[in-house]
Amino acid sequence: MTSVRNIMIRCVPVSGGVSEGEALVTNQPTCLYDSLDPKSGRIVNRRHELYGQCVSGRVFFFPYGIGSSTSAATILEASRCKKTPAAIINLETEPIITVGALLAERFYGTIIPIVHRPELDPAEVIRHHSVRVNGDVGLIEVLKHS
Amino acid sequence: MLDGEFGEACEIAMSVLVKLGEIYGADRMLNVENVHIDGAAYGWINDAGLELVQKLASSGGRFRVPATLNPSSIDFDMWQELKIAPKVAKKQLRLAKALQSMGGTPTWTCAPYQYGAHLRFGQKVGWGESNAVSFANTVIGARTERLGDLADVCAAIAGKYPRIGLYLDENRRGQILFEPNRLDSDAFDSTDYGVLGFLVGSIAKARVPVVSGMPEKATADQLKSFCAAAAVGGSVALCHLCGITPEAKTVTEAFRGSKPEEEINIEAGDFEQTRQKLSTANDVPPEVICIGCPHCSVQELVKIACLVKNEKVEESVRFLVFSSRAAKTLAEEMGAVETIESAGGRVIADTCWNFIPSKARTVMTDSVKMAWTSLSKFTNVTLGSIETCVDVAVGAKPRG
Repeated sequence: MTSVRNIMIRCVPVSGGVSEGEALVTNQPTCLYDSLDPKSGRIVNRRHELYGQCVSGRVFFFPYGIGSSTSAATILEASRCKKTPAAIINLETEPIITVGALLAERFYGTIIPIVHRPELDPAEVIRHHSVRVNGDVGLIEVLKHS
Repeated sequence: MLDGEFGEACEIAMSVLVKLGEIYGADRMLNVENVHIDGAAYGWINDAGLELVQKLASSGGRFRVPATLNPSSIDFDMWQELKIAPKVAKKQLRLAKALQSMGGTPTWTCAPYQYGAHLRFGQKVGWGESNAVSFANTVIGARTERLGDLADVCAAIAGKYPRIGLYLDENRRGQILFEPNRLDSDAFDSTDYGVLGFLVGSIAKARVPVVSGMPEKATADQLKSFCAAAAVGGSVALCHLCGITPEAKTVTEAFRGSKPEEEINIEAGDFEQTRQKLSTANDVPPEVICIGCPHCSVQELVKIACLVKNEKVEESVRFLVFSSRAAKTLAEEMGAVETIESAGGRVIADTCWNFIPSKARTVMTDSVKMAWTSLSKFTNVTLGSIETCVDVAVGAKPRG
C-alpha cells in the first residue's frame, strides 16, 4: 500500500494539537448539548441525521453550532469520560465550542484540535476518509491510500 | 489577574477568557456589568462541570459582578415528590452551594430578564442561556455574546469578557431581511411568535436577521417565545425586530445603511409548514403536557389558572407548569398556583422539564423551543397554544 499525495485543506486554527480519525460528517447545524450524550459519545437526538452514531475518536465535521450554551460543558464532560471527538472541523466555530476545548485541555489534559473557516467546504471531500487535523497551523489532511 | 495576584480562581478564569479572546482576535477585554450563568444545573454541566465550579469556589473564587443563576436540576422544595434521584439532588445541592458561596443570586430561572436581572439599553453584560441572550440583545438592546457554560462562571469571577462578536457595532448590523407582511401577526399568540422565530432562525442560521412589520404591541411573553425559538432554529443571538429592538427603529437603522444580503417574504404556507415540522405526533394523545419553556411569567401563570378554573385534568395526563421561584411566589399570592394545582396540574419552580423523570413517550407543549429540543427525551411531541394544551389536558374539545 503506497500512499499518494494527500488532499490538503487550509483552515484557520482554533484549538491546538494534531490528531487523526475517520471523518464523521453532517451538514446539519448542531447543538452538541441536545444531540451528544457525553457519557457514551453518541448522538441521541432523533432530530439529528447522525442519530445513533458515535463521535468518540472521529474527526467530527458539522457546519456550525446552534442553540444551547451548555455545549461547552458537554465537551468538558465528554473529556472527563474520554469520549471526545479526535478533532472538530466547522465552517465557523462558535466560542461556546472553543471554551469547551480550552477547559478540557486545562482540567483533563485532553487535546481536541479544532479548525474552522476552511478554504473550501470539506464535507464531501473528507466523507468516508481518514483525516488528520492540525489545529496548530490550521490544516485538514485527507489520508488517502491506493 | 493573570499573574495570580487576585488568587488562583481569578487566574484560571482570566487565562481561559484571554485565550478565547486571542483565538477570536479580541483587541482587549471589556468589563461586563452582570452575568447570567447558564450552567447552574448539575444535569447540564455534569460531574466535570461540578468539579470545576467547586475548584473555583474553593480556590477563592468570588463573583466581581452580580450573577443570576439558570435553572437547577431540582425544584428545591419538591424534588423528592418529583422522584429526582437522591444522587442527582445531592450533587445539585453541592453545585448550588459552590455557586452561591461565590455570590450567585439563586434565581434558578432561564428567564432572568423577567425576574432577577436588570438590563438596560447598550449595557455590556455576559450572559449564557440561548433564549436569555437572544432576549437581552433583541428586546432590551443590551450587548452580550452567547457565553458558553463555565465561560459564564469565569466571566462572573473576572467581571470581564473578550471584546468580540456582538459587543462590536459592526457585528450587530442586520444581514438578512424578513418580511412577514402577509401573515396575520396581529392575531398571533405566544406559540405563533415561536413558530415565526423558529422560521427566521432556521433561515438566518448564523446571520443577524431583521424582521419588519412586527406588531409593536407584542408582549414580553410573546417576545420571549420568539427569541427562544429563534435561538434554537439557528444560532440567533440578536434579531432586529423593527420598532421593538431599541437600536432598530427602522429597517434602514437595522442594516446600518448597508443592503440586506437576502430578502425573504414569509408566506402563510411557509409558516404552516414550519408549524407542522415542529410537531411529530398530532394524532397521539400526550401523556405529559409541559408549559413554561422558557419559564412562565406571573401573567402566564394567571392565564393558565383562568383557563383551568373549574376544570379537571384527565387522569391519563400529567400537566406540568414550569416557572421561576419568584414568579411562582407572586402567583401564589394571587391564588393562581392553587387554582392550577386544584385542577390537577403542578407548578414546578427552580428547574426545567429536562430534569423531570418521566417514562412518557409523547409530550405536548406550547413551546417551540421545547418542541424542537425535546426529542432526546421523548419519542413524539405535539405543539399547541396554551389554550389548546389546557383543552387537551382537561379533555375538552379544542376551541375555535
